[in-house]
Amino acid sequence: MSPVRLRGEGVEKRYGRVAALRGIDFEIAPGESVAILGANGAGKSSLLKILAGLSRPSGGRFDASGSEDPDGSALRRDLLRARVGYVGHATLLYGELTARENLVFAARLHGQRPTRDALDAVLEEFALADVAERRADTFSRGMAQRLAIARAVVHAPSLLLLDEPFTGLDEASGERLQSRLEAQRDDAGGARSLVLVTHDPRRAVALADRAILLHRGSVRATPARGDAAFDAEALREALVAVARGAEAAA
Amino acid sequence: MNTALALLWKDLVTEWRSRDRIVAMTVFSFLVVIVFQFAFPDTEQDELTRLAPGLIWVTYVFAAVIGLGRTFATELENEAMTALALAPGTRGWIFLGKAAATWVLIGLVQVLTALVFALFYRVDLSVGLGGSVAIVACANVAICSVGTLLSAMSVRSRFREVLLPVLLIPTLIPVLAAAVRGTTYSLAGETVGIDLLQPLIVIGGIYLVLSFLLFEYVLDE
Amino acid sequence: MTAPTPSPMTTDRLEKPLRALGWIVVALLPVWGWTVVQAPLDAFQGVMQKILYVHPPLAYGAYLGFVATAIAGGLFLWRGRESHDQLAIAGAEVGTLFCLLMLITGPIWARGAWGPGNWWVWDARLTLTLLLFFVYVAYLLLRSFTEGDERAARFASIYGILGVVLIPLNYWIIDLVGGAIHPDNLAKESSGLGEGMGLPFFVGNLTLFFVFAYLLVLRWRVGAMRAETDRLESDRMAEAPEMA
Repeated sequence: MSPVRLRGEGVEKRYGRVAALRGIDFEIAPGESVAILGANGAGKSSLLKILAGLSRPSGGRFDASGSEDPDGSALRRDLLRARVGYVGHATLLYGELTARENLVFAARLHGQRPTRDALDAVLEEFALADVAERRADTFSRGMAQRLAIARAVVHAPSLLLLDEPFTGLDEASGERLQSRLEAQRDDAGGARSLVLVTHDPRRAVALADRAILLHRGSVRATPARGDAAFDAEALREALVAVARGAEAAA
Repeated sequence: MNTALALLWKDLVTEWRSRDRIVAMTVFSFLVVIVFQFAFPDTEQDELTRLAPGLIWVTYVFAAVIGLGRTFATELENEAMTALALAPGTRGWIFLGKAAATWVLIGLVQVLTALVFALFYRVDLSVGLGGSVAIVACANVAICSVGTLLSAMSVRSRFREVLLPVLLIPTLIPVLAAAVRGTTYSLAGETVGIDLLQPLIVIGGIYLVLSFLLFEYVLDE
Repeated sequence: MTAPTPSPMTTDRLEKPLRALGWIVVALLPVWGWTVVQAPLDAFQGVMQKILYVHPPLAYGAYLGFVATAIAGGLFLWRGRESHDQLAIAGAEVGTLFCLLMLITGPIWARGAWGPGNWWVWDARLTLTLLLFFVYVAYLLLRSFTEGDERAARFASIYGILGVVLIPLNYWIIDLVGGAIHPDNLAKESSGLGEGMGLPFFVGNLTLFFVFAYLLVLRWRVGAMRAETDRLESDRMAEAPEMA
């Protein structure tokens, strides 16, 4: 897995009346974990889509480079996507395919043909070995979610992107998901970067080392671990304050 | 290339397990054939034989629209479209795999429809069979390529069931005209030479290449 | 992966060309009108025949409109500039207008030429124009039904490119297959122009070409101005504090 560095300068995403991002700067180093927080409409999803190589910014500069060297090989959008593993609130699974088949398909989409042993290992890791030959539409919510994460990491991505994965989960399921995501984040000896989009500050603090607070397409604050502002309560207050138009303490 | 085969495999396997599209297209085709039977009740046999190529192709085109409308149906559940959008490399290969799967499925339905047609309209299909098959195969390339591209676009809209036919049918007019002409000759027993196939090959080629290239821009979010 | 920089105000750049085109149109219209009035009456069809001076020149608008849409769409896919998409919309709307006018004047002339009952003829040009009309309508429907402005622009660009390829393709097919379906070719009819009919024809072509160009740039400018106000409005709204 080769690490990825993402950098943005004045990144804009707007069209006509809609301005999702109004010129933001950011840098995500290899192995970093960053949370993107904000209310609905803040631009979180738009930013994530740009990071994933799913959309093109309408203004500004966005660079992805493929090695630890900041001046290293620049990645085109279609190559950036090869490094990305994506988990959303939908599972991205095909109901008519078995767990194993879903994984094989996901791997093949990324140009890989994992061996039977490699797949068995992944299924084992996600406690899906028993149901490997069952169709995904027979799975419980928890099983489907595990398969969704397995799907996202089967091609050993160096960038894990999480788009509000905790939406609609009860406390217990949320905790289980969180520990699985922590395991994935810490996998690969710290070379894997993680970007979590959420509006829940608790999850942000648990999974990330710093946060980017967005409001109406602009960055309002960037607290990091070690700052007083980087705890669940403080972040919650900061979000409310930012929504009220005040500048939060950076 | 690998990606295309993966999509082809995935679509055929999911179709085999659910049989959604095949059933929908086949039932629809049979219904259309029956409707025609009632629409032309007192027509003379030779009149019907003369009309047969046109009627067959009208049935084929509308059945294709139904089938193409469901090309991305499995992707819509669970937002699997995003998974396709996240695939690295040239997205045209995804298009190719999907179009190929549809080509297979439509072909199967067309064979069944042809048999029913032969039965109801007393059309002798064995006359010029090779030529007829060649014409249908070539026309299907055009239909499936532009159809898959437009299906991917209409799936993101309100009124997608109405939008796809509106977008697709104007593009299929040249295919229809050339295919009916070719089928008229093949069913009449004339050998189908390159001059009859040429329009279909040209249109199919243009649509295939254009759709492959343009598909790149369809999947972005 | 540097994104394109926003282009300078389209509305400003279009002002001078628009004014120039406007003057040309104002100058040509009366000239054209005069030549049409002066043209000799056709012995058989009478005044109705003068529709012929209007119908074919409309083709410029109808076809060039879609060509503009396709090229602008292609540029939009490549560069992502909103101004290109605005030109694409302009091409589609103005083109649809000219196409519709062709489809209205065509039957009027057909009835005049062939007598009552012959409102429609399957001649090559009229058939092609009818198909083009459906492509235009499909294009406009695609734009309004697609969710998301940027996506609508992208999809429309794709369909525009597809549609423009359809024009020569249909022409070729109608030519190839048409022998069986279409008995008449109006083009042959109109090339039999009599004395004194050449001038109004030529002036008509010129005039309607410039009318098309003027309307295209005008609509483009309107689109650009609308987008500019939207952008300013959106920026202003972002600054305003939210109600608690």
